[in-house]
Amino acid sequence: MTTVRNLACLSIFLLAACGADPAPGPVEQIIVREPGAAPVETAAVVTDAAPAGALLAEGKAAFASCSACHALEQGAPNGAGPNLFGIVGSPAGKVAGFSYSNAMKTSGITWTASELDSFIADPAAKVPGTTMVAGAIADPAKRQAVIAYLESVTAN
Amino acid sequence: MGKWSRRAFIGAGVAAGGALVVGVAVRQGNPIDRLAPLLTNGDNEQLLNAWVKLDSDNIVTAVIPHVEMGQGVYTALAQMLADEMDAEWSKVRILEAPADKQYVSDSIGRDFLFPDLEVPALLEPTVTGGILELAQAMGLQFTGGSYSVRATGQRAMRTAGAAAREMLVEAAASEWQVPASEITTADSMLIHAKSGKSEPFAKFARAAAEQSLPAKPTLKSPENYKIMGQPKKRHDIPEKVDGSAIFGIDADVPGMKYAAVKAPPVIGATVVSMDATTAKTMPGVLQILNMGDFVAVVADGYWQAQQALGTITAQYDKTEADSLDDDAIFARYASYLDEAGEDGGDLETEEGDVATGFADAATKVEAEYKVPFLAHATMEPMNCTAWVRDGKCDVWSGHQAPVNARQAAADAAGLDFDDVTYHNAYLGGGFGRRSTSDYITMATRIAKATGYPVKMIWSREEDTAQDHYRPSATSRFRGGLDKEGKLVSWDNIHTHLFDPKDAPTVPYYNIASHKIRKVDVPMHLRFGPWRSVDHSQHGFFIESFVDELAQAAGKDGYAFRRELLAESPRHLKVLDTAAKMSGWGSALPEKHGRGIAFVPSFGSLVAQVAEVDMSGPRPKVTKVYVAADPGFVVNPDGFTAQMESGIVYGLTAALYGDITVKDGAVQQSNFHDYPVLRINEMPEVKVELINGDHERLGGGGEPGLPPIAPAVTNAIFAATGTRIRELPLSKHSFA
Repeated sequence: MTTVRNLACLSIFLLAACGADPAPGPVEQIIVREPGAAPVETAAVVTDAAPAGALLAEGKAAFASCSACHALEQGAPNGAGPNLFGIVGSPAGKVAGFSYSNAMKTSGITWTASELDSFIADPAAKVPGTTMVAGAIADPAKRQAVIAYLESVTAN
Repeated sequence: MGKWSRRAFIGAGVAAGGALVVGVAVRQGNPIDRLAPLLTNGDNEQLLNAWVKLDSDNIVTAVIPHVEMGQGVYTALAQMLADEMDAEWSKVRILEAPADKQYVSDSIGRDFLFPDLEVPALLEPTVTGGILELAQAMGLQFTGGSYSVRATGQRAMRTAGAAAREMLVEAAASEWQVPASEITTADSMLIHAKSGKSEPFAKFARAAAEQSLPAKPTLKSPENYKIMGQPKKRHDIPEKVDGSAIFGIDADVPGMKYAAVKAPPVIGATVVSMDATTAKTMPGVLQILNMGDFVAVVADGYWQAQQALGTITAQYDKTEADSLDDDAIFARYASYLDEAGEDGGDLETEEGDVATGFADAATKVEAEYKVPFLAHATMEPMNCTAWVRDGKCDVWSGHQAPVNARQAAADAAGLDFDDVTYHNAYLGGGFGRRSTSDYITMATRIAKATGYPVKMIWSREEDTAQDHYRPSATSRFRGGLDKEGKLVSWDNIHTHLFDPKDAPTVPYYNIASHKIRKVDVPMHLRFGPWRSVDHSQHGFFIESFVDELAQAAGKDGYAFRRELLAESPRHLKVLDTAAKMSGWGSALPEKHGRGIAFVPSFGSLVAQVAEVDMSGPRPKVTKVYVAADPGFVVNPDGFTAQMESGIVYGLTAALYGDITVKDGAVQQSNFHDYPVLRINEMPEVKVELINGDHERLGGGGEPGLPPIAPAVTNAIFAATGTRIRELPLSKHSFA
């Protein structure tokens, strides 16, 4: 439940209590939930955002850690890993200008969502010899979110 | 409390966890009963005085009442204490003093308040106590002003070490039944050569506590220094290399949540309303707060808080500053300066008759200089972790004045000072930014509102746009030369004056008449002390104008300064050393130039010669030669590093530093539009150190900065004939 408290009076109280130069409390305090409480909103109860929107937001947030190595903007340079723009559905080892491992170049994989899923779960198991040594995602839901996000980023 | 009573405090010290505590070298009153439990762990550790702890393994711990922000102060101050104590350096440990008013640096207070006060006996309690009271009122447990070594080190740490040593000697003399004068000390050992006895300090720690506190411990003369003057390795470096060092931003409190904040772009405006519709639905979000002067989002993670904050739209009220931009600010400076004219403004210093001197001058030179606002851009953005509950408050951060931080948290939480515990950590850069407490106040207010521990971290964008800035400034000069080209008249008026008050003055230059004035002009952005403070702009103003005068006199910049310093041999030596190091006068390739600048600041004399390569579209500073005389260099490696880092910081400002204002708001946000010097732009820096006066020490943290900008711009003039009167250099085209 979302609660809104108006605490404008608090600062007046502090002023009276402390004398000079009080530090004011909040003018408006929206308590979404208490720490430790389960999130009140799930994809099902969010009405003003489609479920896909929540998934993409989660994927985007999760991709933050991938972005240390991977760019996702069209035309952006490769980092420690290749640019992932348009990666879903593309053949493995083909991003221009990136120096792939032989293992990746010869893997023959096409990056469907399910291939990506198994690769991100454990890159070295899926493509032994890959230079992707970090960034595996153990949580299946998070992988799905990241893949959905990767797929959602298109030229516009 | 009245006069210090040894008995009373020894008793109290024993009661406090069995720790024996001795003496307060330069403290009135008895803080030890309170300090011992803060600083010692059980029976094995003895607090010898407020600055020394000695444990049963013969480890000497120096208690440092200053903060470590990369300047190496822990090591230099420990060296001063250990040397006087004859402690074995490898067995010296370091502990930062708690944020306690007992550690308020009265030695700093004395220098601030009575810079010329000579105290006959350093320990004279009335004088010290009186200043201590004033210093406490000002909240000075302060690291800044390049004060740590020259004030606290010279006056407190050395005295504390010497006192501890003498008490140990007395204890051993009593036990061994030999005259104290026959006992020597070295490497944390007490030695009686005649009888062949020797024992570690630790054996006599308890007995030392029973000795009288020396009224005036004898300090070593420089020929007996063993640890001072040595390039001892920094204590804080290993953990900074292996990543184990804890900075304020590393605070980890169980149950801690994260806050991201955004203040109105126009500093001083108020948040009228906010729309948090989207933020409320975002993952991890716990609370959204309109604090009046800023908006905060509290979430399970920092990234979540920052992402949610980014979706919030806020309305701000209108302020007078909304229409302000840089042109308007500089126009305001000009109008105030115009209005002051030749006699208005506030007089800072005057000698001789400037008007006559100028009227009679054979050559008259006038110039106006400008510098912009500057941000601090510390690598660690502002952050603070706070927890307010049950009438208590704990605060974790890095702050240059921990006592002030503790007070700010108390005010924000609505609690007494004594109900707040302030935990200081390493500062990931201070430069003056962390001497203000705004970020402490904000975090504490958020934590008070939530009731649980919250770590507030500013984004880089917030850190850049909501700083307390080095003010922009304008300075105007008129100078007169006689027909021999000798400088006879110096007339300067400039905008605002903060600190140090002598920054605009040139008492070291022999000029027959000089007059220096200021006008105070409202400048909208908040002032903050920025490394070397007012010297950062006046070093540039003064040394640029001196160079223009030299040019008008048809003289070489170095030779012209030599004439002005002819009666100051110590100053001259510094200037000469820098010139000699640089090969001043020798040929340089085409489009290369050399510039010299000399700026005494914070008690240290520093001359720099910069070499620039102007063959490309932008100035490239290739070499900097530094000669510095801080009186006595306690740690040559550390001091050299401070000279180098002063050059990095000052060169960053000279080349790029430019905080601009449009519609009342700071336009810069991050390192792409507020760049800092990169490693490939770093000149080769050579430093020579001179020990010119071991009794009056100067600082190290700031004095390396002021000469670099004018040394570079004077070099650019030498290379190109273009005189730079406005910083930064990125404003100018050299193509």
